[in-house]
Amino acid sequence: MSDKKKFKGLSDKAVAWLFIGPSVFLLLAINIYPLIYAIRMSFTNFYANKIGREPQFVGLKNYIKVLNKEAIWEKMQVTANFMFWTLLLQAVIGLGLALLLNRKFKGNELLTTLIVLPMMLSPAVVGVFWTYLYNPQVGLFNYVVNFFYDFGSFDMIGSSELAPWSIVIVDTWMWTPFTMLICLAGLRSVPNYLYEAAEVDRASKWQQFIYITLPSVLPFLLLALLFRGIENFKMFDMVVELTSGGPGSATELASINLKREAFEKWKTGYSSAFAVILFVTIFGFGNVYVKVMNKIKER
Amino acid sequence: MDTSRSYLEPSSFSKKLAATIIIVYTVITLIPISWMVMTSFKNVNSAISYPPEVLFEPSLEGYVNLFTNRSRQSQEYLDSLPAPETWYEELVRSREMVITGPSKFLGRYSNSMIIGFGSTFASVFLGALAAYAFSRFRVPLKDDLLFFILSTRMFPPIAVAVPIFIMYRKLGLGDTHLGMIILYTVVNLSLAVWLLKGFMDEIPKEYEEAAMIDGYSRLQAFFKVVLPQAMTGIAATAIFCMIFSWNEYAFAVLLTQFNAQTAPPFIPTIIGEGGLDWPAIGAGTTLFLLPVMIFTIILRKHLLRGITFGAVRK
Repeated sequence: MSDKKKFKGLSDKAVAWLFIGPSVFLLLAINIYPLIYAIRMSFTNFYANKIGREPQFVGLKNYIKVLNKEAIWEKMQVTANFMFWTLLLQAVIGLGLALLLNRKFKGNELLTTLIVLPMMLSPAVVGVFWTYLYNPQVGLFNYVVNFFYDFGSFDMIGSSELAPWSIVIVDTWMWTPFTMLICLAGLRSVPNYLYEAAEVDRASKWQQFIYITLPSVLPFLLLALLFRGIENFKMFDMVVELTSGGPGSATELASINLKREAFEKWKTGYSSAFAVILFVTIFGFGNVYVKVMNKIKER
Repeated sequence: MDTSRSYLEPSSFSKKLAATIIIVYTVITLIPISWMVMTSFKNVNSAISYPPEVLFEPSLEGYVNLFTNRSRQSQEYLDSLPAPETWYEELVRSREMVITGPSKFLGRYSNSMIIGFGSTFASVFLGALAAYAFSRFRVPLKDDLLFFILSTRMFPPIAVAVPIFIMYRKLGLGDTHLGMIILYTVVNLSLAVWLLKGFMDEIPKEYEEAAMIDGYSRLQAFFKVVLPQAMTGIAATAIFCMIFSWNEYAFAVLLTQFNAQTAPPFIPTIIGEGGLDWPAIGAGTTLFLLPVMIFTIILRKHLLRGITFGAVRK
């Protein structure tokens, strides 16, 4: 595609820049510039609510403060637990549902659509209405659980042992369909002839599953988990409305803590350093994960 | 996309078993949503009865409470008022209250609409332009640019919220519709470019080349030939952008307060006497979730395709 002027109007090069320019400009202005700004602020003692005061350069002080703070590591632990359980449950249930939906039964398209509904909803609003379901006096969730086994009165949101599970349950309810859909796409991409060949070779159903189905769907599952992992590392809205990080800090995920430091205590410099650390963590883990994923794909 | 089954025909028993498990799961997963819709039609007392009432006398109290502000009055004062003119006034009076004015819900809801449609249009339009260029032209550093566009999605919103807050304050965009439209447009842009590039790649180059030989310029060919061809992809992308903007919470709660705040930060704040007003919250939630659910069901083909698209093409 050389720039020969054989057609009328703008050259291809001009059109290309005209088309890409606005998007790149907006991303630079609203995404990259704020990020650089945040990195710059992370080296200062800036407070966004004190306008008149000139921020001073403090070097790596903020970073050292963040990394030495016991509480930060607790939040990271809470985030890690949340991610571990949500990803595990969503992988197992999502894959299971995808395998079931992949048998051609009548009406499975409609059922797929209905199952997908929760992930289309607003996480914050979902968080609010689950506080009602979890209500220890009148909640439907508590009623149903007690209907099957009488635990007596329990408070999913108010007790520090149960609260971490309350957010895992809601997230799993909401996002299992996502893993399911991606796995389903994976299952449908397996060519039929692989199974036909396996039948000819007298492979059992189980062997077909282990040697054909699982390896083909695994890259898709891993990809779904990457997306969910990134999202849950950033998790904010649903949990804020459900437990607001409590009781105490039992469900205070990294993002919620970041919001408190940045928008309640207005420690802009300190919170920017924390934000940069979180960002680098996502990027680092994401990159390593993608490398591992590609290795698995190649096999 | 080939949607034909990759499994050999399963036995009828295994099909039935699979269908049963899926139906049970579907029912369980829909209970929370149905419960919220049911709650919106309860009155305040039946919403907090235990055991939870499955059968109840329907009431529009939740919806009335959602749309109005009310204040409690003494019986003597209520008796001194002229008879209520409308059914909802009567309902409020029966709770020994009077309506003092409309609530903020309608304003928040229309903010959600304005910001949602505005940003969806902008991100799909800009995304389509960029996607076309990436799909057709040799762009220097193409892969780097594409990765850069995607990586902007990895930022935690809170991490950039403070700088955007400060920037918007300086530019006078804080708590404005325009500011939020620009912000959501940018957040959606990376997804729009990636999704639409996939769809554009599928449209044969020959189409617009034929049009250009017939005397169209590149721009005309893009608008008159390529865009109509990409309509499915544009629809799928638009739904995703709309759902994101409609549901977004973190930026809305941090960057807006009075003028441009959308519904998600407002719904949790609906408080009745002695705690949260569950029927009103149910009503707000129902009205807020309804468009998305209808959208999802009507446009399911495009949607499901859009979700799996990224995965299928790596």
